[in-house]
Amino acid sequence: MSRGLRTEPTREAAREAREAIEYCYEQGWTDGLPVVPPAEEFVEEFLEQVDRDPEEVVFDQPHLGRKCTVRLAAANAVMAGCRPEHFPVVLAMLEAVRDLPVSRGLFQSTTGQAVLVVVNGPVRQVLGFNSTDNVFSPGNRSNATVGRALRLVVMNAFGIRPHAFDQSTQGTPAKYSFCIAENEEESPWEPLHVERGFARQESTVTVAWARGTMPVEQRDSKHPEHILLNIADSMSYGGGYFPSPRGHGSIVVMGPEHAQLIAQAGWSKQQVREFLWEHFGRRAGELRRLAKEGGLDPQLPDEAFVRFAHAPEAITLIVAGARNAGVSTVCPTFVWQTVTRRIPIRRT
Amino acid sequence: MADGILFEERGIPAAAVITDAFRRTADAMARAQGLEGYPYVAIPHPISSLSPEELRARAEQALPEVVRLLQEEGAR
Repeated sequence: MSRGLRTEPTREAAREAREAIEYCYEQGWTDGLPVVPPAEEFVEEFLEQVDRDPEEVVFDQPHLGRKCTVRLAAANAVMAGCRPEHFPVVLAMLEAVRDLPVSRGLFQSTTGQAVLVVVNGPVRQVLGFNSTDNVFSPGNRSNATVGRALRLVVMNAFGIRPHAFDQSTQGTPAKYSFCIAENEEESPWEPLHVERGFARQESTVTVAWARGTMPVEQRDSKHPEHILLNIADSMSYGGGYFPSPRGHGSIVVMGPEHAQLIAQAGWSKQQVREFLWEHFGRRAGELRRLAKEGGLDPQLPDEAFVRFAHAPEAITLIVAGARNAGVSTVCPTFVWQTVTRRIPIRRT
Repeated sequence: MADGILFEERGIPAAAVITDAFRRTADAMARAQGLEGYPYVAIPHPISSLSPEELRARAEQALPEVVRLLQEEGAR
């Protein structure tokens, strides 16, 4: 990390900082929490971290007539509380989100989707991303501010805010910030970026639409089937199901204890995904009881199992969290595709 | 809303139909497209839980307003 705070600020400096923060509130630039005022010199420090034309468009929303340039991305990363060194991660994240399906529309959805951001590779240590205990919780600057930068871009660069273009019926606290790192050190399997063809020594960011987090408990059994059936059952809750062929998927953030127990029993990552896929769904009779039989063949017997995803690839499997309990997390989504991008780290 | 406005800009009469729960977004979209006050038909919310017959009844109720908007736009 570069410069830290060397001296305690004077009262006068603190007063001025508060005024600048209040000014940002008045401009409507915040997510409700204070932002760092995006003074031009701060933005320039961020721009120095990347070899990019500041006016280049990173991501646009043509139906709203709005664009996010490299400079606007930097201003929002400053406001989110990032350090300049985070900016290459923020930029790679924004480009990955741009390449997700429905990235020009789903930010406005009544479904209130957030975007889960997963960081892999050495950048986790270099910038201090958290991949262990409290991986989804507050308390880590890198996780909190990189995830927040996406939301501020959506709100400020695109103008997608509550009570106007963001039509979320309820939304989710994950929309403040939803950034984790994979616990590669305690995962028994290859990390996400290696699975996707990147070298272990490369750093990447992966993004996925996700509606939030659902905790999964299984502390009483060490059998892979028991653990995985609890995860699959949580993936398959009726309320999360859209009776449509839109491509349900699921992001499984497995705790290291679960992952290690399963791997010790000899299961590969692909076998886990296949098992989860086979059990991701509900019986036709249950869907009928929930009035979610839309698209079902009326001749299908009630006992028939209806799979919610088209293939095991619709399930993204990550290992994160502490190795201290049999806890995992499922992030529901109805867009199974995810995007991974390399983070260009400049050699200095 | 955006679709309706884009049609109008190409000289094709259009009538945007929304449910009344989306007025704020519709108004914001009209402003974003540079056509503040662009008229639309707002029918009662919700509709996704209606039966096909109920939905048809909503459409029939909205029809005179849709026709009126189409004629107004056409006259411009």
